Amino acid sequence: MKIRDWLFTLAITGLGMILANKVGFGASVTESLPGVFVLLVIALCAAGLKAIIPLKLPTVAYCSILGLLAACPISPISGFVIDAAGKINFTAPLTMVGAYAGMSISNQLKSFIRSGWRFIIVSILVMTGTFLGSLLIAQLVLKLTGTI
Amino acid sequence: MASRQKTPTYHSLRERIHSEWILYLFAFLFILIADSIGQIKIPVWKGTFIIFPIFFSLGLGLLTGPSVLKILDDKKVKAASGLVGVAILPFIAKLGINAGANISIVISSGPALLLQEFGNLGTIFLSLPFALMLGLKREAIGACHSINRETNLALMQDMFGADSPEAQGSLSVYIIGGMIGTIYFGFMASMFAATGIFHPYALGMASGVGAGILMSSAVASLSEVMPAYADKISALAAASETMSGIDGIYMAIFIGIPLCNYLYRKLEPKIGRITKYGRREQS
Repeated sequence: MKIRDWLFTLAITGLGMILANKVGFGASVTESLPGVFVLLVIALCAAGLKAIIPLKLPTVAYCSILGLLAACPISPISGFVIDAAGKINFTAPLTMVGAYAGMSISNQLKSFIRSGWRFIIVSILVMTGTFLGSLLIAQLVLKLTGTI
Repeated sequence: MASRQKTPTYHSLRERIHSEWILYLFAFLFILIADSIGQIKIPVWKGTFIIFPIFFSLGLGLLTGPSVLKILDDKKVKAASGLVGVAILPFIAKLGINAGANISIVISSGPALLLQEFGNLGTIFLSLPFALMLGLKREAIGACHSINRETNLALMQDMFGADSPEAQGSLSVYIIGGMIGTIYFGFMASMFAATGIFHPYALGMASGVGAGILMSSAVASLSEVMPAYADKISALAAASETMSGIDGIYMAIFIGIPLCNYLYRKLEPKIGRITKYGRREQS
């Protein structure tokens, strides 16, 4: 995607966040604006880094790391970033993701129905197992290292 | 069969808008509907079954496609899958910010964070034996080797071929995960929280499995049932999710798939043919 595509699609995403924050949580547009701005700038920089750096890292990795750097104590703007992002309710950015995700798998509804109950059971076990494996190791290591 | 969805390329922004405007319109409409409904909480045992707006918008999105209302054609469906990757970025940025604001907890949990990444292989031990008992054959390798998000799907198609049973198994779990994952993953996380055995930090780390939409469902549910720890849960989930996003493909190549193959050879002759379905499908 070219930079103007990023600017445009991210601007649409920003409007979606403002709408969700307003409808779902009653936050006014002016209240949401700084947070939306911060999140979109980070997302745009992440897309830029992904385009420049020749590593096979996903864009979300850059995005998460940039967010962390912007908000950690050594960042001169950490206070502003944390406050602004705090005004965006946790689930507000997600409704639009869900809408697109639903549309993006809508042509697979038939295979979902056809895949049958065996694969549904296996999928539930896959999700549970992936979570539970990490949970057990995390709990054990946190205990052993005395963090909890 | 549906191969990996490739997003269309446009020559100009005008062309993109001309092609995608209906997707934006639907997205805004679904936000309006989904966030007006808001969260629905149903207490189950000591946990809470929470339905977030994302589930409604996902369901509405599903209806627009070629299978039900036929408003979107395959080309628009593929364009939507490209937009998922854009729309999730601000959310990931927000999680990163949470991690930065709680950096001390992330650093002090360092060893646990690193080691729990191997826990993502837990799927294999839990799901592979059951898949074989249910009569799955080589499909089980693809289905059980990982959480099966986009990169894993591409990997299976690359290693075994798009028409291979392994890739078919991977695709099935990918699709089912997309359909029911947002609602199931959060519920499951809140049920583990309800047992009272696990620390919120461990629950937060476990949520980062390399699938943004599943992680967000788990973090949102955990934050509801453990509000005092909400910030720390999302910080640790973000750190774990970032790591899983990077190491996931290597975990699959170097450990997940070889381990699945090994267990398949050991277990399949013993438990693999006990169902009628399995006898018929012997390969």
